[in-house]
Amino acid sequence: MGVADPHRCLLVADFNLGNFAGLLGNDPQEPKVEVIGTPYGQVVPVLAPESGGWREGPDCCLVWTRPEGVCESFGRLLAGERVERETVLGEVDEFAELLLDVAGRVKGLFAAAWWTPFLQRGRGMLDLRPGVGVGDVLLRMNLRLADRLGEADNAFLLDTRKWVETAGSATFQAKLWYMGKIPFGQQVFAEAVRDLKAGLDGLDGRGRKLIVVDLDDTLWGGIVGEVGWEQLKLGGHDHAGEAFADFQRALESLNRRGILLAIASKNEERVALEAIAQHPEMVLGPDDFASWRIDWEDKAQNIADMVAELNLGLQSVVFIDDNPAERARVREALPEVFVPEWPADPALYPSALLGLRCFDAPRVSDEDRQRSRIYAAERQRRETQRRVPSLQEWLDSLELKVRVEELSAANLPRAAQLLNRTNQMNLATRRLAEGELREWAEGAERQVWVFHASDRFGNSGLIGLTSLECLGKEVQVVDFVLSCRVMGRQIEETMIYYSSQRAEEAGAKRLVAELLPTAKNGPCRDFFARIFAERDRVNRFVRELGEDLPLPSHVELTR
Amino acid sequence: MGNEEKVREIIHRVIDQLNLQLAADQRLEKGESTLLFGEEGKLDSLGLVNLIVGVEGGLAEGFGTAVNLADEQLMTRQDSPFRTVGSLVEYVASLL
Repeated sequence: MGVADPHRCLLVADFNLGNFAGLLGNDPQEPKVEVIGTPYGQVVPVLAPESGGWREGPDCCLVWTRPEGVCESFGRLLAGERVERETVLGEVDEFAELLLDVAGRVKGLFAAAWWTPFLQRGRGMLDLRPGVGVGDVLLRMNLRLADRLGEADNAFLLDTRKWVETAGSATFQAKLWYMGKIPFGQQVFAEAVRDLKAGLDGLDGRGRKLIVVDLDDTLWGGIVGEVGWEQLKLGGHDHAGEAFADFQRALESLNRRGILLAIASKNEERVALEAIAQHPEMVLGPDDFASWRIDWEDKAQNIADMVAELNLGLQSVVFIDDNPAERARVREALPEVFVPEWPADPALYPSALLGLRCFDAPRVSDEDRQRSRIYAAERQRRETQRRVPSLQEWLDSLELKVRVEELSAANLPRAAQLLNRTNQMNLATRRLAEGELREWAEGAERQVWVFHASDRFGNSGLIGLTSLECLGKEVQVVDFVLSCRVMGRQIEETMIYYSSQRAEEAGAKRLVAELLPTAKNGPCRDFFARIFAERDRVNRFVRELGEDLPLPSHVELTR
Repeated sequence: MGNEEKVREIIHRVIDQLNLQLAADQRLEKGESTLLFGEEGKLDSLGLVNLIVGVEGGLAEGFGTAVNLADEQLMTRQDSPFRTVGSLVEYVASLL
């Protein structure tokens, strides 16, 4: 993963968070985080916008409190007093309001779910009984807080319980609490650091998007070329077979979250594909894979080829292989690819996969869920392209429909996702959170349009965005973003055609576009250089309106 | 392995853990003469608390013995065992 600017994280707690702050600031893994500490035990004043920490310009904030530290009534409940549940939940609501206010000031707000070592067994068999149990109230407090934070796109409740489970008996050391007001051991804090960083990566659109898996002894047990698909260990009444099937289910669940799957295997393609199609216990089918390279070539080269074919970056890839030599080869040849160490025991495969933190994303859209289908359709398009003699004939065969609409609450999440994830066809590479994009679009003389595409192979979903700003006789294209999945189908031209129309309507004489060059947006520069006749300075393209720019003949454009 | 050597290992392990959360200029070497707490020591009070709890935990695990190092007098006296790594090793080993 490439190096990004460090995040600046404001840490707010009602206990001593010094150990956590040290671990977070020292952690060498990307993304780096600069810690902005605050005095502990002053949660409400520190969260106020005028407090000192905010002057240091944090872009994210972690708030970690004890339930009794911010909800006074819960403290009384812990002490054995009778307290109405609604009283406690009312305090949770007040706290949530504070956090939602903070969410408006940062790119990401993270709160740690409430957990208290002091609950111990609580009231034993009554602890989860409504109206009696303290544990019951704590669960409801966390649920209420989760619900309330769900009101903001950039506010997230992190699950403390998972950190505590991992730390086991090292979770709580009484002496650390009484001497230092530190309620958690180092392992809990280390887990929290990892989850916070995974969340920040997700917010930055740096979550991994493609898992490339090996087949033999990875997706199934055995060497298919030697034993035949009928003898593979997969499902059935065999502990290893069950583990391989569960591993496939885990891959399937990630696939449904929008993570693409691909295969890199040294095998005969025909034999391996037959196994995938024929084995009755296969959870994954051929259509679940966006691409595959099943041959005897170097896996690193095959991975690089697939990544290019799918228009992704190597930094999007996770490679899973049972063979340490193959893992070492890919690590060496493709350092941007994440190659996790892999357990020798297949029983550990599912948990090894589901324990990876590299897939975190702030949300899962409908298009994420359909991404595999979209890529399967893309594979069919490529096959058609190979059969059809000319580009125009291929474009004509697509029956391409483009629908345009204004930015709205309904399309904002996907629009922001596109803006933040797209690198190649991206004019300015602006990275804006949903709220920031919405706020920008609400400015005077600004318009933001989003584009959907579909063709006879399927619906590609929301794939393009242009933002325009009217500046007198000029309309500036501020953002021009197109998913790399659909580049080259003249949707680019369609977006400029539409933008030109809007600019003419606004009374402008010319359309201008200023490209902010990056290491990756060369395709965008080439497109603008081709479509816009002139440049009045480096990377600023100008197009006089009224010049002939027809809608591509194979595109049906609707609003 | 003698008690002193085992104690030294435990303390070194705790130092490794502490260093993960200490700022670069506060990190501790594992040499016997490394100054820990007090004049010119690198640990602040939070660092000392972490050291004490870490060593006590290591001793409980390694020797099955509950040792209490959190003693105000121990921390402040002229020849405090928390002065250097070596003095801490020597003091802890003497308790076992």
